[in-house]
Amino acid sequence: MTALRDLIKDPSAAELELIARYGGFAEDSRRERSFKAFAMSGLPHRRMEAFKWTDFKAKLKALDGGKSGRVDPFAAVAGHVITVTPEAITGLDKLPEGLRMVTRDDGVAFGASEDVPMGALTAALTEQTIMFDVTATPGQAIRLVYQGAGAALFSRFVFVVRPDVELRVFESHLGGASLNASLVRFDVKARAQVERTLIQPSALGEAHAITAEVQLDEAGRYTQTALAFGGDVARIETRLVHQETGALAVVNGAYLAADGHHIDFTSHIRHGARACQTQQRTKGAVMKGGTGVFQGKFHVPRNVGQLTDADMQHNALLLEEGAVVNAKPELEIYADDVECAHGNTCGALDAEALFYMRQRGISEAQAKAMLTEAFIAEALEAAPDAARDILLQTAQDWLGV
Amino acid sequence: MAGMLTLSDLHATVGEGAEAKSIIRGLSLEVPAGEVHAIMGPNGAGKSTLSYILTGKDGYEVTGGSATFNGEDILAFDPETRAGKGLFLSFQYPVEIPGVPVMTFVRTAMNAQRKARGEEEISAPDFIKKSREIGKQLNLTAEMLKRPINVGFSGGEKKRLEIFQMMMMEPKFLILDETDSGLDIDALKTVSDGVNALRAPTRGMLVITHYQRLLDHISPDKVHVLAEGRIIKTGGPELALRLEKEGYDGVIGEAV
Repeated sequence: MTALRDLIKDPSAAELELIARYGGFAEDSRRERSFKAFAMSGLPHRRMEAFKWTDFKAKLKALDGGKSGRVDPFAAVAGHVITVTPEAITGLDKLPEGLRMVTRDDGVAFGASEDVPMGALTAALTEQTIMFDVTATPGQAIRLVYQGAGAALFSRFVFVVRPDVELRVFESHLGGASLNASLVRFDVKARAQVERTLIQPSALGEAHAITAEVQLDEAGRYTQTALAFGGDVARIETRLVHQETGALAVVNGAYLAADGHHIDFTSHIRHGARACQTQQRTKGAVMKGGTGVFQGKFHVPRNVGQLTDADMQHNALLLEEGAVVNAKPELEIYADDVECAHGNTCGALDAEALFYMRQRGISEAQAKAMLTEAFIAEALEAAPDAARDILLQTAQDWLGV
Repeated sequence: MAGMLTLSDLHATVGEGAEAKSIIRGLSLEVPAGEVHAIMGPNGAGKSTLSYILTGKDGYEVTGGSATFNGEDILAFDPETRAGKGLFLSFQYPVEIPGVPVMTFVRTAMNAQRKARGEEEISAPDFIKKSREIGKQLNLTAEMLKRPINVGFSGGEKKRLEIFQMMMMEPKFLILDETDSGLDIDALKTVSDGVNALRAPTRGMLVITHYQRLLDHISPDKVHVLAEGRIIKTGGPELALRLEKEGYDGVIGEAV
């Protein structure tokens, strides 16, 4: 154990517990690689460029338990439910037709370990990785319900979506543990389509690290819609690669951060093939004492990235004085025949619009709520019908519309 | 006859601290129920400021005098309460509000006003029926009423949408701020017809305008000339015609 202890310099109580968990696994080179990648930094902190605004180390000092028992906003969405708790994963029997499951008790390599420390940690500490081979379009959606408790919840799913197959996934990140860490991977084969819709309710007293890896083959389509309310610290990270020509990715999200909440949307999208499209729209609204973070990057290599068509928009509302939004949109473009755009705005609600609404009899609070809802709604438009109204309703409840 | 809207010796500034600028300087005015009063004046006379003070916009401070509406001190209330009490402003520049559809907005506003007055909400079928009828009168299609408020509307369409809201909400008192600006002749007729349809013994109107032409369509009971923050002359409809002929300079020069 002494050697393990030394993996992280000056470990915190939380990090000591993570080391102990790792020590409980049988020796495994893939697990080791991931954990060592994580251990390079320990829980990522503000002195690291990618985490300068999102400090897991400072916000997660000890793993002393979260708040369980949150209601699942997607409860009414039809689908096959798979529930992930620290004790077990249920719902793996009687899978919808088209899904074939393989479980892996050993470590499964996580290629981005060096770049995504929270993903590396999740890969290292997930006991059993669940892999689905999706060979035909399932008759129903898959609903992943993450219900943590106690110190930490780690989980990992891999979906290999075969050519021409369509898959719809809803994720409910209900928290409950001090650290709620999930990793999901979508291999979207030729002309296959994946729709991923996720919700992360308010989780004060908890940390969330929700990481997705996506790989798109020829003419593959991926649509992601996320609505997140943050927690002590929360990051929704998406790493997407356009691997073959003609792929389309829609990566949307909205965050609503109240007092004491921190929510981070980070994405890295690589246009590794010709003529691929990315549309990214992130909207946020933050109250006094809340923090929103947006870090988006498009990487377009010189030869393979030609004819890229990509647009990144991030717009945030500071609803009150004392709200914080940090944004870093990055376009790294080496190809010359591309259309790449980005926009980034941060401001207050339009005072003229507020007065106009109040002049018609709408209270200030309701006018603010309506304007904020209208503002973020655009980022939720691409969600499947079954979830869009729920996302909007959840946002409305938060806003008090 | 006591005014439905009574302003006496009103003083107001715009801006804050050392930047504050005196715009309204001793304005007195009485508009009884059932009457339409026009306020005319040159640019910078304080016409729009008056409309904002009466409706409670931020950034304007009343520094003296009083304004009562049906006997109540209207200045004590926030904008939404004033609206609930029946004060409606047709904006000179209606605001675009992306993402909030006209119908949602109007219904929310109507119900908020009704709630403030202790009335029942308007039912969905009643609301739709009424909006269809009024939309038809104003040449506003159902498609336009589904769009976000004022987004992509022409100047004339925005003004018609103001009148639409006015007719839906049936306020007790209307303030029309330069409602004729940006309107072509046909739209002016449509808008005026809408306003005239609301004329009633129980309702007062203040029509703020720079030009006389609107008053050809909405004939006022009284015309007031506003200059340098106060009413300097009051007369009948003939005063508007005289202003049109002689210009503000002539009439104001005579009054001062």
